[in-house]
Order: sequence, then structure tokens, then C-alpha cells
Amino acid sequence: MVQSAQFAHSLEGWFGFLPLWGWAAISAGLVIYMLALPFGGLATYIERKIAADMQDRIGPNRVGPIGIFQFAADAIKMLSKEDFVPKGGDRFLFNLAPLFVVVGSCTAFAVLPLSKYLIGADVNIGVIFLLAVTTLIAPGLLLGSWASENKWSLLGGLRAASQIVSYEIPVALSILPVVLISGSLQIGQIVEQQGWTVFGENPATNHFWNAFHNPFTFFSMFLLFVGGLAETNRIPFDLPEAESELVSGFNTEFSGMRFGLYALGEFCDVFVMSAMVTALYLGGWHIPFLDIEKLGFALPTGLVAFIQFHMFMIKTLLVVFVVMWLRWTLPRLRVDQLMGMCWKGLLPLAFFNVLGTALWMWVFKGQSLMQLLAGHG
Amino acid sequence: MNKVLLLAEILTVASALIVGFHPNILYASVFLLFTFCGVAVMFLFAGADFLAGAQVIIYVGGVTILILFAIMLTQWLYKIKLADIRNKMVVPALLSAAVGVFLYRALHQMVAALPPQTPEALEKFTATPKTAAIGQALLGGYLFPFEAITILLLGAMVGAVWLARPE
Repeated sequence: MVQSAQFAHSLEGWFGFLPLWGWAAISAGLVIYMLALPFGGLATYIERKIAADMQDRIGPNRVGPIGIFQFAADAIKMLSKEDFVPKGGDRFLFNLAPLFVVVGSCTAFAVLPLSKYLIGADVNIGVIFLLAVTTLIAPGLLLGSWASENKWSLLGGLRAASQIVSYEIPVALSILPVVLISGSLQIGQIVEQQGWTVFGENPATNHFWNAFHNPFTFFSMFLLFVGGLAETNRIPFDLPEAESELVSGFNTEFSGMRFGLYALGEFCDVFVMSAMVTALYLGGWHIPFLDIEKLGFALPTGLVAFIQFHMFMIKTLLVVFVVMWLRWTLPRLRVDQLMGMCWKGLLPLAFFNVLGTALWMWVFKGQSLMQLLAGHG
Repeated sequence: MNKVLLLAEILTVASALIVGFHPNILYASVFLLFTFCGVAVMFLFAGADFLAGAQVIIYVGGVTILILFAIMLTQWLYKIKLADIRNKMVVPALLSAAVGVFLYRALHQMVAALPPQTPEALEKFTATPKTAAIGQALLGGYLFPFEAITILLLGAMVGAVWLARPE
């Protein structure tokens, strides 16, 4: 168990032979090139393919087999575009703003539990860390829109910031039931406790997926998902970039790779949000009803990590698919509807779920529905 | 001294200086954001892991955004230049200096009153997680102040809704 303060202190001791900034640069580069960039790039391709399927079109099909290298072509196109700062805009803030978005969404990859043995830093305040770094996105959108010196942009940025700040509260409150159940903020531990096998002995702490722990957490998962949709500015909450009202919203004036950074940050944020739903409510890396580490024979750790990683990715990408599917299903909300839904709808429901979970924990002494059905725990 | 901590301290102090002396109020608020982040890292090194996270969520995600909103939606606020208000800065500067001296002396006395600590004990203290301890303190010995603050915040919220009501 790595404590965050200990982790920070030990950084120097571990990696003495390069200066610290060197390691910071390398690990940031690794995160971006190994995780964020492929996912962000492929997500644009997948999104277009899914959109095409839903509209009975073919979609991108020219670059590579079934158009799979379309995102690489897009990246080259973006890199070769003119580096443009609008006249009267604020150059310093204009350059700074996309970085906030990328830093906010890419840093979150550090605590995502890709597998039991593959997690960047399993810090003891993991959930708080995830919430904290993703708040950096809101100032990025707001400052970028201001620096553009464009009224549409500013309106989009103001909408984005108010939306993210408002929906932060139901999201945090929908995470709280999980923290109540597991008694920990450490993501690795939260996922670990969601294991449940039909064969063999279950430890008393293990209680199947948190989504099925009790009826309240089941609703809480949907609240987290809806709040996450709003925080990542996805349809039906994409008012900050509503093209029929605001041209293109906060990123109207951005071109080339700066626009690319915004898009990358946004797609990474969708992935982080889906991974959060998966890790906190859908059992993370666990295969349902099966513990591959207790099969009766020992699998090599590498293979276990490999299988768990794929299980986690399957679940996360399913959630991502639902996000993309909703885009072609639901119409966009109005601004007043958006705020009304957050403060009058999601917030009371989230409070209800927290109280309900606390009540359940008190009445059934912390046992999940599964443990009650199985008659032990 | 740990280099990461040193970097965080430099970031905090340098951004704080920019916040104080930059003529453009928007830049001042942007660098206030970096100050808050630097303070969060310093919390982390002092062993206050939960406070570090809460610092970023509340001050970067909430307070800075509110300040930015206020600046962007208030035309005259953005147009204020440092030169226009330089002659009005004497009293606030004196007040801040007095508060600074007071805080320094109070903290100094508090630290001096503590029993002497070995470096190992300090390292052990900064490496233990504090989240559970904070939770138990808030719902245990400090329950009354905690609830009193809740009522204060509830009153502030009702007041804000009352002020913003449509008429």
C-alpha cells in the first residue's frame, strides 16, 4: 500500500540517476503516448464509425483497412495547420488554456486501476485525487474561451465552467456510497472488495460489484454516469459547444494542434469517467463470479495482469460505447433545464442514495445483497 | 531538502508575488490557481493528504472559478489598473503585514511549545494517512463546531438564494 505522502517522499530515492524533472517528463510522455494518445485518437475513429452505423452510413473507410488510420491522418492534418492566435486575443492565456485540459485529464490516468498489478500509483486518497485533478479542466475551458476574444467562445466557456462546477457536486455525492461501503478512498482496495466467486470461499469483505451491493448504489451508479456525462460536456449536456447556438463554443477560435489538445483532453476525460464508473461500480478488473487467482492452479502474474487489464478495458469501453450511443439518441437540454436537473433532480437523489446506503449498512451490518442471498459474510 | 518540495515552494511564492503585483487582474487570478496548487503539494509533504486533495477540489475547482466568473462578468473590474489604485494600497499593505507578523509569531510559539521530534518520528508522521483520523475527529470530539459550521453555510446558501430570487 503506497501512501501518497510516502510516495512523494520516496520519488527522489528511487530514481536518483536522472534529475527529477527528467523522470517527470518521461512518465508524462509515457502516459500520453501509451494511453492518452492512442485512446484519444482511436476514440475519434470509433465515435465516427458508431455514428455512421447508427445513421446507416459507412463512415471513414479510406485510410488503412476499414479506415482505422483515419485518426493518424487527422493528427497529421492538425499538426500541419496554421498556428493561429486571434487578433486582440490574449496570447499567453490562449497557449496556456489547452494545457490545463490535457494535464487535468491525463494526470487522472495515474490512478486508474487497469489491473491489480498495473496501476500507476495506488494512492490512499485515490478517489479524491481523481476528483481533484479533473477539476483543472474547468479553468482550462474558461480561460481558453476568454483569451479567444470571441463572444461565442466566452458564452461556451462560461456555460462549461458553470456546468462542470455544478455537476461536480452530484458526482462527488454519487461516489460517497462506494466510500461508505468500502471504508477506503483507495481505488485498488475499492476494486479488490468487489470480487465474488461462486466457487470457493469468499473473504468477508468481498461483496460482488458495488452496483449490486444494494438498491441505492444501483441508482447511484446511474447518477455518477449522468453527472460524468455533464462534466465531460457530452450530449445531451454539450451546451458549451452547441454548434447551432455558439458556432463551436469555447474552442471556436482554436486551430491546429491546440484544437487537437482540446479534443484529446475531452476524449481522455470520457475514458477517465467511464473507467471511474467501471472501477467504482462495475467491479473494475474482476471477471464476474470468477476469481482467476483462485482457480486451484497458479497462473503467472503477467497473465493475470493481462486478463484483468482486458476485463477492465471491456467494461470501460462498453461504458464509452453507451456514451457515444446516447449522442445519437437524446436531444440537447436547454441551459435552465440543465441547471434545474442538477440542483433539483440529481442533487436530492444523490443525498437520498447516500442516506439509503448508510441505512442499509446499519441495518444489514454492511452485508451486500449477494452476501445476504448466499447466507454468509 | 526535498527538491519536489522546494519546487512547490518556489511555485507558491513566485505565483503569489505575481498575484500581488501583476497589473492585469485576470492574470493575478490565474496565478492564484498556481499558488493553490503549490500549497496543495506542500500539504502533501506535511502529511495532510486529504487536505491536499480537498485544497485542489475546493480552491482550484471552486474558488478560482468563482473569481474568474466575477472578473469576466464585471466589465469595470477588468479595467482596473494597478497604477490607478497604487495610492490606495498603503493601508491594506500595512494590515497584511500586521497579519503576517501575527501569524508568524503565533505559529512560532506553537511550534516552540511542541515537544522536540526526531527526524524519524517526523517522517513516520508525514507518511501515515490522515483521512480516517480527520473523519473520526469531525464526527467525534469536534462534532459541535462541525455542525455549527454546517448551519452557518446553510444560512449563507439560503441568503444567496434569497438575493438571487426572481422578482
